[in-house]
Amino acid sequence: MNNIWGDMAQYDPVTWNWVIAVYLFMAGLSAGSVLIGIGMRWYSKDKLTESPILKAAAIIGPVAISLGLACLVFDLTKPFHFWVILVNYNFQSVMALGVLALLVYTPLGIAYGLIVLRDELPKWGLGFLSPVAEMLTGWRKAIEVVLFVLAVGVGAYTGFLISAMNAYPMLNTAVLPALFLVSGLSAGAAANSVVALLMFKVDSHDKELSRMHALELPVMATEIMFLFMLFCALYFKGGAAAVALASLTTGVWAGVFWIGVVGIGFGVPLLSMLMPAATRHTKGAMLMVACSGLTGVLALRHFILYAGQSYIY
Amino acid sequence: MNKRYVMVHDENKCIGCQACNVACRSENGTPEGVTRLQVRVEGPFGQAPNLHFKYHRVSCQQCEDAPCVKVCPTGAAYVGEDGIVTIKEDKCVGCMYCVAACPYKVRFVNPETKATDKCNFCKDTRLARGELPACVTVCPTDALTFGDANEPDSEVAKLLNTKPSYQDKIHLGTKPRIYRIPTKRGGIES
Repeated sequence: MNNIWGDMAQYDPVTWNWVIAVYLFMAGLSAGSVLIGIGMRWYSKDKLTESPILKAAAIIGPVAISLGLACLVFDLTKPFHFWVILVNYNFQSVMALGVLALLVYTPLGIAYGLIVLRDELPKWGLGFLSPVAEMLTGWRKAIEVVLFVLAVGVGAYTGFLISAMNAYPMLNTAVLPALFLVSGLSAGAAANSVVALLMFKVDSHDKELSRMHALELPVMATEIMFLFMLFCALYFKGGAAAVALASLTTGVWAGVFWIGVVGIGFGVPLLSMLMPAATRHTKGAMLMVACSGLTGVLALRHFILYAGQSYIY
Repeated sequence: MNKRYVMVHDENKCIGCQACNVACRSENGTPEGVTRLQVRVEGPFGQAPNLHFKYHRVSCQQCEDAPCVKVCPTGAAYVGEDGIVTIKEDKCVGCMYCVAACPYKVRFVNPETKATDKCNFCKDTRLARGELPACVTVCPTDALTFGDANEPDSEVAKLLNTKPSYQDKIHLGTKPRIYRIPTKRGGIES
């Protein structure tokens, strides 16, 4: 219907769309993958050989964040002015702090990737990068520590970014950064196993791989708990916040949540644990479980972003 | 900041004619499809024959604690010397964080400049010349009053001191500077 007061298109509360959801996913995936890769290296006794999981993280970390940042830049209304955001900082803004973190995290991720993959570079026709990798190797410990800390920051930042908006009851909660950090960890673990299995031909019974696999259950349990806490907080707050719970029962995002997040993201990996050990540890089964984990986390980012923005205080 | 510009919208006097909306478009050259100011006619409410409408002004609330200014990564959204929330067009990259963060949903991307845009009380044009905002000047029923609330003798200060008023979504702590005088419908008051 035509209103006397004019067009209503600009008043749609959903401002950030799927491109941002993909960015949030990619940033979480990059951070989670790096955290698991470095964490497992510190935990492992063998510090001399690069494990296939660390190699996978060394690829996923920089590639995922770069793809995510590409999404982010092209979602700007002035993509070619993206540099403006790199030279002006408002330290009140979560986004400005995130830009600073990403400004260090991204090149450091690439540097760390070169160090870990130094033996691989000539095989991939990237031999000209070997001297750079050699040069960086002396700085390995420092890079590793800083990268780990920044990865925690980047993983949580994606949650802080959207929780800073007090207009949206579902987003404006303290648990969101924690939820995004742990779901980033589960995406990171899943992606690490996919790349380790397919690219670095790791044996599906590999010790490191099963150690990472063992992490997945507690991570998933934490994720489920945080999601439960998020919905409880909305329920007990009442009013407009409780109304946002309707996103769990109505509309397309309810489907995305129950099928994507719960069914594929949590259900498939949990049910796969009931399979006989012999089947469970085949390459095919592991890939399937990892891919459903990734799908679940991608669905979670979409659900939170869209359902979160659909309800406004 | 010794100035505190506020606007009062008297919903008793408003007739929803959209003259303010049109004057705003013409003054600010607002492109087709987007708007800085709307007066939504809501209703009818009540039982026939006692029906009534509500006139809800939708425009930048000029928050004293503005969420859009807090989230803007580049400082493109800023609070000026006069307290008015404005946007530096060349500093805006269009990340839409402010559009998303605004609880009143009154920010939009200007299709011509690609920067975010909204009401700024005609700061650079009419206010700079010592005139009132376009919407205030054009209102046929004098439903709008604009001025410095820190000035005790100003029309807005007197109005806010004598009539009951409310602001939108104050529970969010944004301290909006658009005040509304609610419609009073009949009845006997002591």
